[in-house]
Amino acid sequence: MVNSTDTDQFEYYLSSLDELGEILIEADKIESVATGILRLTLGTIMASSGAIFIFEKESTSVSELCSIGIKNNSKSIELSDSFLVNIKVYKYGHLDYDNQPDWIEGDFKEYLFSSNIKTIIPLFHKDTLLGILCAGEKFMSEVFTDIDYKILEIISNHLTKSLFNYELIKNVEQKKQELNIKLLELETLFDIGVAISSVLDIDELAQDVLLRAVGILNASKGMFVLQNEKSPISDILSRFNWGEEKFLLSKNIDVFQQMQNGNRGLILTGRHKTDLQIKLNEKNLIVVPLRAKQHFLGYMILCDKETRSGVENFNNLDLDILTSLSNQAAVAMDNAKLFKEITEAKQFNESILGSIATGVITINSLGEADSINKAGESILNAEKQNILGNHYMYIFEKDNEIIELITKTEDDKKICSEINIPFLTSSKDTVINISVAPRIDMNNNTEGVVISIEDISDINKVKNTFKRYVSKQVVDNLLDDDTNLKLGGEDRDVTILFTDIRGFTSMAEKMEPEKVVLTLNEYFSEMIDIVFKYNGTLDKIIGDELMVVFGAPISSNDDTERALKTAIEMQNKIKELNKIRTDRNEPPIFVGAGINKGHVVSGNIGSRQMMDYTVIGDTVNLAARLCSAAVAGEIIVSGPVMRKTEKLFSFKALTPIRVKGKKDEINVYEVKF
Amino acid sequence: MSDFRIDVKEEGDVVIIATDGYLNNVGGEKIAEACYEKIETGKIHFLLNLEKSTVVNSIGVSILIEIIEKLQDHDGKLGYFNLAPIVEKTFSIMGLTKYSTIYASEGEAIAGMS
Repeated sequence: MVNSTDTDQFEYYLSSLDELGEILIEADKIESVATGILRLTLGTIMASSGAIFIFEKESTSVSELCSIGIKNNSKSIELSDSFLVNIKVYKYGHLDYDNQPDWIEGDFKEYLFSSNIKTIIPLFHKDTLLGILCAGEKFMSEVFTDIDYKILEIISNHLTKSLFNYELIKNVEQKKQELNIKLLELETLFDIGVAISSVLDIDELAQDVLLRAVGILNASKGMFVLQNEKSPISDILSRFNWGEEKFLLSKNIDVFQQMQNGNRGLILTGRHKTDLQIKLNEKNLIVVPLRAKQHFLGYMILCDKETRSGVENFNNLDLDILTSLSNQAAVAMDNAKLFKEITEAKQFNESILGSIATGVITINSLGEADSINKAGESILNAEKQNILGNHYMYIFEKDNEIIELITKTEDDKKICSEINIPFLTSSKDTVINISVAPRIDMNNNTEGVVISIEDISDINKVKNTFKRYVSKQVVDNLLDDDTNLKLGGEDRDVTILFTDIRGFTSMAEKMEPEKVVLTLNEYFSEMIDIVFKYNGTLDKIIGDELMVVFGAPISSNDDTERALKTAIEMQNKIKELNKIRTDRNEPPIFVGAGINKGHVVSGNIGSRQMMDYTVIGDTVNLAARLCSAAVAGEIIVSGPVMRKTEKLFSFKALTPIRVKGKKDEINVYEVKF
Repeated sequence: MSDFRIDVKEEGDVVIIATDGYLNNVGGEKIAEACYEKIETGKIHFLLNLEKSTVVNSIGVSILIEIIEKLQDHDGKLGYFNLAPIVEKTFSIMGLTKYSTIYASEGEAIAGMS
């Protein structure tokens, strides 16, 4: 028969178990489950104090999950090996600590004693210790009954399951976190792969890769070191969190040399004593080479792998990840470097093409223009957008000669040129020299042509204007530097030489017309050679008279000197010529020459139909008068000419002469030669 | 080593912490310290302006998780704005965005937290 006290006790235990179910269902955290269970347990068995510990396998210690009525605040207590062996005996029961077995020792023993623990219940799941439930003295120092122990064991069983679930959840969370980190690593590798195909700036790329590497490996800082081909000192291309300190990193540093010799990355710890660690004043480093194909580009260095509790060594997984990153980065940098070189080369070529006066048009294998320089646009008299993409047959449709030249080049794969041809594509007045060359690719295949066009219209104008009047040297000077060429009217100082054959009219009357022409041609041929020898400008040939200008269209300091030299050489040449004429039984010819210097107006003077470059003014007239005043074989110069050249030549003052249009007589001088 | 700096200000009930530097162990601890001080004074809504923190590591993220857990105990919340794409991606992958919110701007963030 069951008495009422036992019934009450039984109902109390049942209600406790019912409450246990609620605690297990409602609680969301292990701490609240444990606290609820401990409170229920101690209340059920009427114990005054107790604690629940969780076992940490790695450190073989227990950590307090919760406690009631215990002043001792030990949060983590290490368990001895003997405890871990002997406690297994109590896997399905409890240990009455009043017996105080000698395998309980150390801090845990002290804890049990100071906390007045009377009963220990190990919480085993199969053979794995998950925690410990400790209960203090029973209320009023009563003794725990068998039912108390039974209840304790039932509750412990549920507590064990909760701890086991907690462990499972914790493991799942940890695995989830690890998977997230792995995912982040993979995403980072993927992102860098994407970045590689889009970032072509080396600095930007290095910074991007470095920041990602630092973040993904939990490093505290990092740097991107680039080997400098021109210097033994490596360049720090990018750094993160490494402050402003300047590191001189020679390429001969031990670690770098190992990598240049083909070694893979290195993990450096406090055990190592490398130059690099000393230079950087750091112990924990991970260094990987940046190697793309056969190119060795540099290194990526990270420092101090962070954890919540401080810094730890990098591991092999970190090395694999960083190596993978650096391999991708190296390929990207190689590409970026190549791109930079190509861009620079392109800019260089474009700048050369843009600066030259020759028009250059490239035609691709389809016959379409794919580039044209500024000069090309100017010569074709068309803008780039109207040229590019068009077929050469369309571009040069008015110039069959050019189309044939391009076709010939395409067929023969040889350079074809034409000079001085009209260029109707631009205008009917344009004259060009053109050269068409095959465009050869890296594999020596022809893939279009390059057309060079030189607009020689202006050159032709100059030549046409001057070739009859000035020496080749003057033309060349003008063409070399057209700033000298001022064909519009302008005031300038010049020296004018006039020569005239004395008595030629009467002599000619006695000669056959044919002989007259031959005589004049021979005479002028010799004289003009001398004029051009001294860079004189042959202004006019009027009958047997020559007018030569020195100082137009190009001035120089020795204009007057050259005029005198010309005149002297002319007179000497006439003497030689007369010897020949005498041998040919021809009458000698005699020439008088006059030279003056001063201001003239120079320019292209005439009508639209007939325009000549000449000089006009009093200076010209006086020179002509001086020439008239000179007798045969004489050279008469004005005062300004004498004063300008008196140190170079000998002069004899003559009787001043009166000149038409001049009030005063003019001082004149004979040149002695 | 570069310093991690924070600037703390209040906009009504919301505490805004602007960070500058690497959000790692050191950076995370500084943020946590500032948050916990403010929690002591009754503040439970926090915003991080991460404009000048373009690099974050998993230790920094784990500290932010701790802050979120602490705030959950007080029915508070944590939000962020001005995140670099790489940081936003890291937060997303590490699961932070399930328990905290990323806002596009400070204005949107303050409105969202209030």
